[in-house]
Amino acid sequence: MEIVVKGFTKHFGDTAVIENMNLTVKDGEMLALLGPSGCGKSTTLFAICGIHKMDAGQVLFGDRDVTHVPAQQRNVGMVFQSYALYPHMTVFQNIAFPLTVRRESKVDIKRKVMEIADLVYIGELLERRPAQLSGGQQQRVSLARALIRRPGVLMLDEPLANLDARLRLEMRSELRRIQQETGIAAILVTHDQVEAMSICDRIAIMDQGKILQIATPAEMYQRPVNSFVAGFLGDPPISFLDGVVRQGILVLQGDADDTIPLPEHISGQPDGKVLRLGVRPEHYQPHFPTKVKGAVVFVEMQGREILFDVKLSNGDLLRSVQAASSQFKLGDTVEWGVDPAQILVFDDHGTRL
Amino acid sequence: MSVSARLGILFLAPALIFVTLFFFAPVVLTGVFSFTNMSTATGITGGAYQVTSNVLRQLADEGFEKSTLDRLGAKSYVVSAQALVVATTEGVVDKAVLVELESKHLGKTYQSRRDFERFLKKLKNRPRSTRDLKKISPYFRASLMGQRFESEEVLFAMLASLDLGLPDPQMRHVARASYTGWVWGTGNFKRMFSLGDNLRVLRNTGIYVVATLLLFNTGFALVLAIATFYLPGRHSAFFRGLWLLPRITPPVLYVLLWKWLAWDTGFINTILANFDIQSRNWMLDTGANAWLFVVLINGFVGASMGMIIFASAIKAIPQTMLHASEVDGANRWQQIRHIILPQIKWPIMFITVYQTLSLLTSFEYIWLSTDGGPGTSTEVWALAAFHAALDNYWGNLQYGYGAALALVLVVIGVVMSLIYLRLFNFDALITRPRIEQ
Repeated sequence: MEIVVKGFTKHFGDTAVIENMNLTVKDGEMLALLGPSGCGKSTTLFAICGIHKMDAGQVLFGDRDVTHVPAQQRNVGMVFQSYALYPHMTVFQNIAFPLTVRRESKVDIKRKVMEIADLVYIGELLERRPAQLSGGQQQRVSLARALIRRPGVLMLDEPLANLDARLRLEMRSELRRIQQETGIAAILVTHDQVEAMSICDRIAIMDQGKILQIATPAEMYQRPVNSFVAGFLGDPPISFLDGVVRQGILVLQGDADDTIPLPEHISGQPDGKVLRLGVRPEHYQPHFPTKVKGAVVFVEMQGREILFDVKLSNGDLLRSVQAASSQFKLGDTVEWGVDPAQILVFDDHGTRL
Repeated sequence: MSVSARLGILFLAPALIFVTLFFFAPVVLTGVFSFTNMSTATGITGGAYQVTSNVLRQLADEGFEKSTLDRLGAKSYVVSAQALVVATTEGVVDKAVLVELESKHLGKTYQSRRDFERFLKKLKNRPRSTRDLKKISPYFRASLMGQRFESEEVLFAMLASLDLGLPDPQMRHVARASYTGWVWGTGNFKRMFSLGDNLRVLRNTGIYVVATLLLFNTGFALVLAIATFYLPGRHSAFFRGLWLLPRITPPVLYVLLWKWLAWDTGFINTILANFDIQSRNWMLDTGANAWLFVVLINGFVGASMGMIIFASAIKAIPQTMLHASEVDGANRWQQIRHIILPQIKWPIMFITVYQTLSLLTSFEYIWLSTDGGPGTSTEVWALAAFHAALDNYWGNLQYGYGAALALVLVVIGVVMSLIYLRLFNFDALITRPRIEQ
């Protein structure tokens, strides 16, 4: 089922949280709503599932306009950040709840609960209560409860935020597996770009109530619409260098000695134009041609890789990720190169050129 | 003991003093009093020994011989030195007769006034007129009846002087029967269990507690809490405030308003007069009406506490859990039944326990409104105890019996508390403090 949000506007008091938002979730896809806290992604989710009313706009589930349909009748499944399991019910009762309130027969309920419990691997836990479960198990129960009615769309509100690092990795792929097995369209709200990139078909990145870009993870990573998107995606994050154009060359701020030639596709920039370059750590390496000199001021060993922070003479930082075999040490003066083809260039409003 | 522990005791001291003074001491005293027959008649200090016609009747019931009782009750006339002194100083005009009595007849005893006066007439110095003679005899009257003896010994000496030939146990029996002060005993409890009225009072108490509790203190409180939960904020605050009013109204005024509503020329009758309905006191008209008013009066006050507790408990339910149930398809009623009620199970238990115990002992609104009437149809146990001990129509306040009635409430209260504590396992609700010494 395709979910379409048209002209969604939401105010809390006098402040507009979201203004005229449009969003389409294709049938069977998993879409991430990615953004920093307070950007309105949860508000969007609550509006789609019907918990919050919209001040203006429309929500379509397929052909059905559900804008004024209460949450109870929208047939959405939702996994909350806190899981919101009912503590006084057993796992079985929790999962069965959406069916119980619809007064389905006991036999049907039992069969469906068993089915879904097998899907999320919690068949042995059905008699326990939520308090007796680990975080990951609670997560699975919550997922089972969301899925048991075969919802038209699955809402995931920061579902992994409360898990420890290892479990988060495990549940991340579990979420994807289950979503793909059921083929239900899903919306994942998260502030974790790794989570969004790793399991979603597309990402809608939001900031201050606006969707900045909707794209596949790869496209968004390689071709971010602006410096905010570029800075939000990627770990370790992208480095920015500010400078002024002088005869087709960018002179870095503060120090006229450091210059970087602009990439070929950015040509004809007038002299004196302020630009910002974005260089991802994997594109600042010893073997790349456009050399930039600096001193290693920070080294972080991450096992497979080493992360270096290199301080340029004007004080700007460039990051580099290299294989663990790299021999550079803290304090070394290095002259590594930037891959000119991969440099992202933004204008003074942050829009990518 | 560490400084902080000592300081703790110091800070606790006022509370301990007050709890001792106003809780433990009354409970202990109630227990003590319930084993006495204290009343207005006996007083609460000591008493004296006084043989009265009531005592004689009681002794007769207890199988004393009639001849003994006759002699106990007889009025005899004795020529005693004491009587002579009194007669002399109080001015019997004819001194000669007194001198003669003192010198020749000291110690003589006569069984009746007629005998004594016949004896007087035979004296040499007898008074000339019969009127004077008759004035003399009262001074020599000697009787047990109506005399106060401050101690048992004095009474025994008197009994011995009557030469009744009573054996020791019987003397003690007479002493016991004629004692006017209070004594120890289990008579109150025997009386309590033998009176059929008390069974009715017990049943009334049950009706009062269960009806008020179910209909209002938890039932209506739940309805209010849930209803106001679903109302928008300002409205819910208004309605909760409204239902708090009975609680903050002075009880006397509050009940007066109810009385004014119900009495013969009150609000209800004024309205009903338009429909040609006979005016009457709706509150005290019939037992059923009285019950209706008693439950309403108590319930409107009692509902507010449950309402506040339940409302805050509902507010404490995580918002996401309610959202989850909505997304899961639960309508309002299902949300209440499956999520809200189970989540506020403990507050409901708490209010039930707390209000049971407080309703058991509270009688002020019944006292002010129906005072147990009509008849004894709304007389509850606490009110009965109060009536017996402190507000008795006949004027003889039976402290001992009232205390025994009250003691029953204390026992029921303690037993119920223990049962509740075990049943609901309140211990499990208490989180151990994290701070250690």
